This record gives sequence, structure tokens and C-alpha cells, in this order.
Amino acid sequence: MTPIDPAGKLPRHLLGALFYSWTWRMAWRDSRTQRKRLVIFSLSIVAGIAALVAIHSLKATVESGIATQAKALLGSDLQISSRQPFPEEKVKEIAALAQSISRETSVSSMLYFASADSARLVHVRALEGGYPFYGKIETAPSQAWERMQMESGILLEPALLDQFQVKVGDRVKLGSVELPILGTLKKGAPTSGRFSGFSPDVYVRLPDLERAGLLSRSSLATYRLHLKLDERITKKSGLDAQPAAAREIRTRFNDSHWQFETPESRRNSLGDSLDNFQQFLGILALVALTLGAIGVAGAIHAHVSRRVPTVAILRCLGCPGNLAFGIYLAQAIALGLLGAVAGAALGIALHSAVITLLRESLPIAVNAIPSAVVVLETTAAGFIVCCGFALMPLFRVRDISPAATLRQTASRSPGARLRTGIIFGLLAAMLTLLGAMGGGSWSRSLMLTGALAVAFLILAGIAAALIVVTRRVIRPSWPYVVRQGISNLYRPQNQTLLFLLSLGLGTFLLLTVLLIRNSLFERIRVADPASSPSLYLVDVQPDQLDGVRAVLKERHLPELESAPIVTMRIESIKGVPIRELEAAEDETESDGKARFNQSQNKIPKWVLQREYRSSYRNELSATESIVVGQWFSGAADPNGAVPLSLESEIAKDLHVTVGDEMVLDVQGIPIRARIANLRKVDWSRFNLNFFMIFPPGVLESAPGFHVITTRTPGSSGELQRALVTQFPNVSAIDLTLILETVGSILERIGRVIQIMAAFTVVAGIPILVGTLLNGRSQRFRESVLLRTLGASSRQVRRIFLVEYATLGVLSAISGVILAVAANAALALFVFKASPWPDPWLLLAGLATASGLSVAAGVVLSRGVSNHPPLQILRGDQ
Amino acid sequence: MKSFVPAQSPADVHRQGETKAILEIHDLCKTYGDAGHELTVLKAINFTLQTGDTCAIIGPSGSGKTTLLGLCAGLDDATSGSVRLDGTALETLDQDARAALRNRLVGFVFQSFQLIPTLTAIENVLVPLELRGESGRRKDAVDILKRVGLGDRLEHYPLQLSGGEQQRVALARAFVHPPKILFADEPTGNLDAETSAPIVEMLFELNRESGTALVLVTHDLGLAVRARRVVKMRAGMIVSEESHDAH
Repeated sequence: MTPIDPAGKLPRHLLGALFYSWTWRMAWRDSRTQRKRLVIFSLSIVAGIAALVAIHSLKATVESGIATQAKALLGSDLQISSRQPFPEEKVKEIAALAQSISRETSVSSMLYFASADSARLVHVRALEGGYPFYGKIETAPSQAWERMQMESGILLEPALLDQFQVKVGDRVKLGSVELPILGTLKKGAPTSGRFSGFSPDVYVRLPDLERAGLLSRSSLATYRLHLKLDERITKKSGLDAQPAAAREIRTRFNDSHWQFETPESRRNSLGDSLDNFQQFLGILALVALTLGAIGVAGAIHAHVSRRVPTVAILRCLGCPGNLAFGIYLAQAIALGLLGAVAGAALGIALHSAVITLLRESLPIAVNAIPSAVVVLETTAAGFIVCCGFALMPLFRVRDISPAATLRQTASRSPGARLRTGIIFGLLAAMLTLLGAMGGGSWSRSLMLTGALAVAFLILAGIAAALIVVTRRVIRPSWPYVVRQGISNLYRPQNQTLLFLLSLGLGTFLLLTVLLIRNSLFERIRVADPASSPSLYLVDVQPDQLDGVRAVLKERHLPELESAPIVTMRIESIKGVPIRELEAAEDETESDGKARFNQSQNKIPKWVLQREYRSSYRNELSATESIVVGQWFSGAADPNGAVPLSLESEIAKDLHVTVGDEMVLDVQGIPIRARIANLRKVDWSRFNLNFFMIFPPGVLESAPGFHVITTRTPGSSGELQRALVTQFPNVSAIDLTLILETVGSILERIGRVIQIMAAFTVVAGIPILVGTLLNGRSQRFRESVLLRTLGASSRQVRRIFLVEYATLGVLSAISGVILAVAANAALALFVFKASPWPDPWLLLAGLATASGLSVAAGVVLSRGVSNHPPLQILRGDQ
Repeated sequence: MKSFVPAQSPADVHRQGETKAILEIHDLCKTYGDAGHELTVLKAINFTLQTGDTCAIIGPSGSGKTTLLGLCAGLDDATSGSVRLDGTALETLDQDARAALRNRLVGFVFQSFQLIPTLTAIENVLVPLELRGESGRRKDAVDILKRVGLGDRLEHYPLQLSGGEQQRVALARAFVHPPKILFADEPTGNLDAETSAPIVEMLFELNRESGTALVLVTHDLGLAVRARRVVKMRAGMIVSEESHDAH
């Protein structure tokens, strides 16, 4: 115990008070009759921190999984891709710079299973050399991969064997060659897709792929060089310097057709693919924490209000202000810690459940047990925020005058307003910090905290206005119960502000979560397969068009759409060569600001580097609409810039609009194009859509292929077999499988969104109810007095109903309006989804919030009837 | 009855004629409200109380008795004037320093008892000692509770005690470390005559034994006349004062 001199020198500073054993002893004693009530305080923290821990852990787990497996994800230090074969002399030069080099050629093709008389689209990968340099290909039998390096054969995914009832040793037909199945893959080489591809990988030797005759100039073949870099280059400045190593090789082999990928860029692209999902999680975390904080502030406010007489007595008996404050802060800290530990445990459990659910959707191995550091950091941060919100009402303890023992006065100190302002500022800063930790963007986090602050101020303003208005409009001619109920809205110790801030803010936050969840669902919902094409026939050469159409006609299958496709890359935008734009982007990336700037004013790298499969036609499709400019009119001027129709979102990414010029590299030939219009495209439909569309008369002579879509009533197996026999280069992509795959991934993500949103709502509603019930002591006493004076139970109940219904409906309406505004802003600026809310959801939100309030009123009024007045007047309740 | 006071009590000092002022009030004024809406509840009060002396303040409701008591104990700030408690001017102290002074010098008994509801009787009595860092004096607390007749109620909470018992706990709390001055605001105001009598006896007995000065605010003239001095207030002013030998 701190030494105290007999003159009574008690700790006068808060820190000293917290290290004074009596403070904690007194805190324990004081909680004796309040423990059940204080559970609400702990529950608020449990709910807030559980959501926070689960959400932050989920994000950290995915990121850490990606980071630690970045090299294994790529399998090399540097990967160079091209749609054209690499010139041999360049390969030799690159090989001289690398420790090891491996070649890969991949192509999509149909694989024919003779024994089952069926075919399946597969992604054929022909590897030569020691790739993957990091990670290992695992097969069954275990020596199958080594065996394939020495003899002809093919390795398949086990599912294919099951699907077509074949076994190791059976023969399959790839293009024009027949190959024996040497084994199945347990773990393949790293793939470049964000999520594993829609068609299964199969592995063959490079000579076998060449023999199969699948490689033609305009086919969809991709050529890759995988490099294991010399230690000297790799270790220049660690993993983060991989882009520098890539630039070094790129500078020497200056060819804009080549794409370079490093473990770092692979990690980034994977991280981005989860961005929307993570943004939603970030918002959920903020909502959960804010709801928890509302609960904390409400519970502590009610607790301190009940403790005014005790504090006044302690002050009379010589207790310094900070020591009294310390008692209640100690309670808040102890309960907060308990709540935080329980919340962290619940958060870990939630995280593990979500990871178990998502595991199959993620392209990386992730650990169901979250990082201890993340859990500790998040728990600590959440605990500090919750305690911060508890401080606001707790500070009132310091202002309680000892004179309250004589008269009920608890004056407010002159500095209280300034202090409140400072605490609000600190809380906003803490929320922003946590938001940035969760969402990854300071600006977005600041925007969310700012929106919360604005909502808070609006609701406080509505409360103040309600107090003024009700005082003025109330008339003596009104029925007594109505007058009494409405008067409770402005009388001393009214609950108007408490209701607006808790129920209004709660309705706003929870409804916003549900509305955003709906928007995300709407956005990821796949179009109804019944009205979409179910089969894409890709890589149809111009001289094969009639033949393929005839195959369809023989089987009475419709040709839904047909489009010519020419591949191209961007060479310059508004006169700035693409290399300069990429260099600027690389510099930003090395500064560690890439993700922030990409969302601001930089052109995303993938947009610059990607290969555009463009088409030409003279009319808009059913899934397109012009948003800026005019559709093509008349023939293109062969000597001027070619008119180009650009998809509106890619135009935003490229920072171009109607009238701007771009130079496009159409397989070695530069074409100058001027943007004639911007199109909005509904990508959720599986129709043939393109980023770039040209008018007829420009690209006809460029090397290309056609895509035809059709719809098969049942299985497309027979059609696929016919096609692979007559046109081995034509790939049939069964969209039913794609729709199922996409649907499965989205369903899992959707399920996680559902779980997290439901958890937030389920955790939030009890907090709100608890907060509403916190104000019951005052109403209890007044109502008992009324009962003592002869009021009937019915009158008391009606008074309660008038007050709680008025507050509930007003809070609900305010919350709903704010939620509609927040949803629109988030949908437009963050999630790029429809800003229009579901009116039924709004009505449900309105009814639920109002109903909660009315229910609270009914519960309280029943309590008054059920308790003997004397018990309450004596202070037992 | 077992004595618990020091060998040389303030009462002994008083009886030996070496008295000194424990409470000195000069031109004390208290006004509530803002400019234009002011309500003056105390006007230029001057008053001195010697160590071990007893004084009753009487007067109609609203005459400023309780306000005066609060200002004397440093529970509230005066608008003007001075209150010196055992020679220390309260207006020069901040709230915490006043609290420390109260803990050292002052005891309270309130009309509504003002026990801490979450503490047992013994814990309530221990609080002033604990605030002095003297947690080990549980025996003294038990002794004084036995003295006021609550030896079998040590672990009872205030709500489990009758009004008279609660006031006796408050009395025990006030005298557990003998204060130099005790302020009592209507100490029998919530009690019937039968319950009041032993409380009042105890109050004056403890005053005699420990030499504590007593300031009683009361409407009860029967109680008031037991004090050596009776001060009558009206409309915020002292209108008369009588002195006689205390019973």
C-alpha cells in the first residue's frame, strides 16, 4: 500500500489512485449490488472486441498467408510472360543473368477421353526445366513428375479421373496426340489466376504439346520464362526489392509485350482481389466497435448516475476527486479487461469458423488460429477505445460535489466542455486509427469516422430540437397521459439525448451494415443461367466459322452471339508512352504507397499491362449503354485516328474520356485511336462484352479469332466431342461449370458476409436494449410516485408508451434516413454498387427500432406494476 | 460504557480554559443564479465556535441553515467571506485539500444517514480510517459499533437496517476517529422520538468524551436547547443567539 501520513495525504493524481490498493478494494465493494447491471458494460466490450478481433485476424491471416507464401505462389524470383514465343537469343541472354531458367507454354484445349467418349476443357501446361524453384509438385504415384520428364505422358487432376472413369495408364487424346496418364496431381505448379482457374490444369512435356498441334500464331497460348535469380541480384535489398530486379532485366530486354511478375506483385494482386470484401469487414469492425462503445458509454453513464450519492459521501469523508474517479475507472478497467479477454476468445473462435468456411476458396494455405500479435494488438486497441468511451461519463465523477449529500447538486466544472471536446477528438482519432488498421486506407477511415461524427451531431441536434419543440407544443387541453408522456421528453433527467444517440445511432449503423450487405450481394450475384449462354466456343479461326456453325446447326443449337476478337496492348495514353506511366507507378510502389494511390489518381498496373481482347461491330449489345459521347457513325477514316468505344470503368482507371487519344499495339502494328464514346457494361451477364470496341473496317485484317456462344439444353458432352474431333484448336468453355465455380466462391464469401453482418446485428441489438433500459431508475421512481398518488397501472403504462414510442419512432426515422445516405455514399464511392436501398429492409429497420423502444417501455411499465411501491421508495430498486 | 478517546481529549482542554476557535466565519455570503436572477441565501454571516463547544442552528425552512452548514464544512464555495476551520481558510484550498482537511478534522451526521449502500455497517465505519491509510483499525470500528449497540449488525448492509440503526452507524462513522468538529444536519429528522432519544444521548456523550465541537442544524427545539449555544436564522441572516450551559 502507498504510505499515507496520518494527516491524510491520499493520492491526488489518477495514476497514484490506480496504484492505491484501497481504490481497487472499494471498487470491488461498490460493485456488489451492481454486478448484473455492469454485465451490460462487459457484454458491450465482448461484442465489440469479438467482432474486431475476428475481422482484423481474418484480414491479417489472409495477408500473412499470402506474404509468407508469395515465393511459393510464383514458384520463382521472376516470371516473364508473353503471348508470343520468346526469341532464342534473348532467352540465352536472360539465362546468363539467372541462376536457373525454366520455360513454360500453356494453352487451353479440349482433352478427349476415348474410353468415356467425352471431352473436357483443360488448361495444358508444358514445363521444361526445374520450375517450380520454390515449392514442389506432388503427384500420385510420387515419381510421376520425374517420370514425365523422361517419357511422353500426361498428369491430370484426380477429379478428371473420377469424372471420366479413367485410371492411371489409360490413354487420352490431346489435339492430335494420344498420351498415357502417368499419374495424378496432389499439388501442382503455381498458377497465375487469382482464384484457381475454371478449367483443370494438366501437365505434359513441351515436345508433346508441340506435337499435339495446338500452338498456332493466333491461339490462346501463353509463353513464360521462370527465373531463379542470382543471389547477388536477389539479395540486393531483400524481397521488397524484387521489382528493382525485374526492372533491371526489363531495361536490358526492352520489349513492352512482356509482362513481368515477382512474388511481391503476385502478393499485391491477390490482396487486391479481396479488397471489397475487406472494406466491408473494415466497416463492420467500425460498426461493431462503435455499437460496443455506445453500450459502454450508456452503461457507465447509468452506473455513474446511480453512484452520485456514494461519491458525494466519499467526498464528504475526505476522498479526493481523482481517488473517487479512480474507483470507477478501476471498475471500468477490470470489467473492460474481462470483457476484452472474453471478446478476444470469441473473436478467435469466430475467425477459426470463418477460415474453416473459406479455406477452399482461398488460393493459399491459411492458419485457422490467428496471429497472437494481431489478437493482442486488436484487443488492446479495442479495449482502449471502449475505455475511452467509458471515460466520458466517468469524468462526471470528478465533478460530483460533496454538497450533493445535502442537496441533489452535481455541478459541472468550468472545464468540462473543453474536456469533453478533447475526449471526443481523441476518440475520433482512435476510431480512425483502428479503421485504418482494418481497412488499410487512412482517407477512407477518416471518411467513415467523419460520417460517424456527422451522424452523431445530427442526432444530438434532433434531440435538442425535440426538447425545445415538445416544450412549446404541449397544451393543457391534451389528455393527461399524453401530456405526461410528452413532458418526459424535456423534463430534467429526460432520456431524449440518450435515446437519439443510442437507438438512432444503433439503427443507423446496423441498417447501414444490412444495406451494404445487400448491395454487395446484388453486385456479386451471377445472372440467371437459364437466360445466359451456357457454352463459349473460343479460338474459332475465320476459316472454321462455317464449319463450327454447321456443327451447331446439325444439333439444332442456336448461335446466340458471335464476335471477332483481336488481341492488343496499350502503347501510349494521351501521348505518354506506357513505359513512363509504369515507371511512375513502380516508383510509387517502392515508396509503399501504391495501394493508396491506385485508388486515387494513379493508373493501376494491371490496366496498363494487360492484353485487351477487343472486337469490332456497328451496334451496341443488349448489355451495353452509352454514358458519354455518341456511337460510331459512318465509316472510319483510314488516315486519321480510329474511333474507339471504351468501357466506362476502364476509362476511369485509365483517366481518359471522350476525345482523348491512345495508341494501341495490335500485334506489332500501332493503331492510333480516339475515344468516341464511353459505354456502361453489365458484366454480371455472361454475354460477349469487351473493354474496347472498334467500328467495322479497321481490324478485319489483323490476326484474330472468333468466339461463338450457344446454349445447350443438357450436357454439352456430345457437342464438345464433335468439336474436338473436327476442330481440335477450338476450345469449348462450359459456362455452367464456370457459373457453378464462381457461384461457389461467391457463396462462401457471401456466407462470411452474412455471418459477420448477423453477428454484428445480433451483438448490437442487446447492447441497444441494455442502453435503453439503463434509464429506467428515474422513470421507475416517478412512476411509483404516480402509483402511490393513485395512478392506475394502465395510466402508467400509457405514459411509458407515449414517451418510448415517440422517442423510438423519431430515433428510428432519423437512423433510417442516415442509413440511406450512408449506404448511397458507400455504394457509390467505395463498393461501386447500386445506391438504392431495399424499401422493405428500411421498413423492417424502422419497425424493429420503434418496436424495440416500445417493448422497452412495456417492460418497464410492467416492472412498475410488479414491484411494491415501498420497495422502490426505499431504494431497493 | 467503555471509553475510546485519547487520554487528553479536546474536552479536557476546553474545560481547562485553553480554548481556541475551531470554526471562524467572517462576512459569509452565498448567492445562487446568474446576474439578474440572483438568489441570496446567506448574508454577511459572522460566527465563531470554540473547540469542544456545541451550537444548534435553528430557523424556518429556507432560512439558510443547511447552506451555512455546507459552507462551514467546505462542501460548497461561498460567494464571499471567509470560513476558517481549525485556523485554515477554506477558500484558499482546492476541493481535494478541503477533502483532506475534512478527513482530518470533520465528522458528519445527515438527516438521510448517507451511508454507502454497497458497504456493510463495519465497512461504512472503516471508510474514514481507510481514507487516512489506517485500514488496520478494524478493532476500533468494531468497538464503536458495539458502543452504539450494533455489535451484532457488523456485516449488515444499510438496507437491512432500520432508520435508527442506520443513523447509529453514521454516528459511529463520524466518531471512529474523533473529529475536532461534527456537523449534524437534522440528525433526528427522519427518526421518531423514541428512536431519536438514544441517538441524541450518544451524540452529546461522544461530544463530551472526545471534546468534539458540535454544530447541529435542526427544527427540533428540544434538541436545540441541549446545545450550549443556539443560533436562530431567518432569511439568510443570524437574527439571534442564546448561550447557556449545555445539559
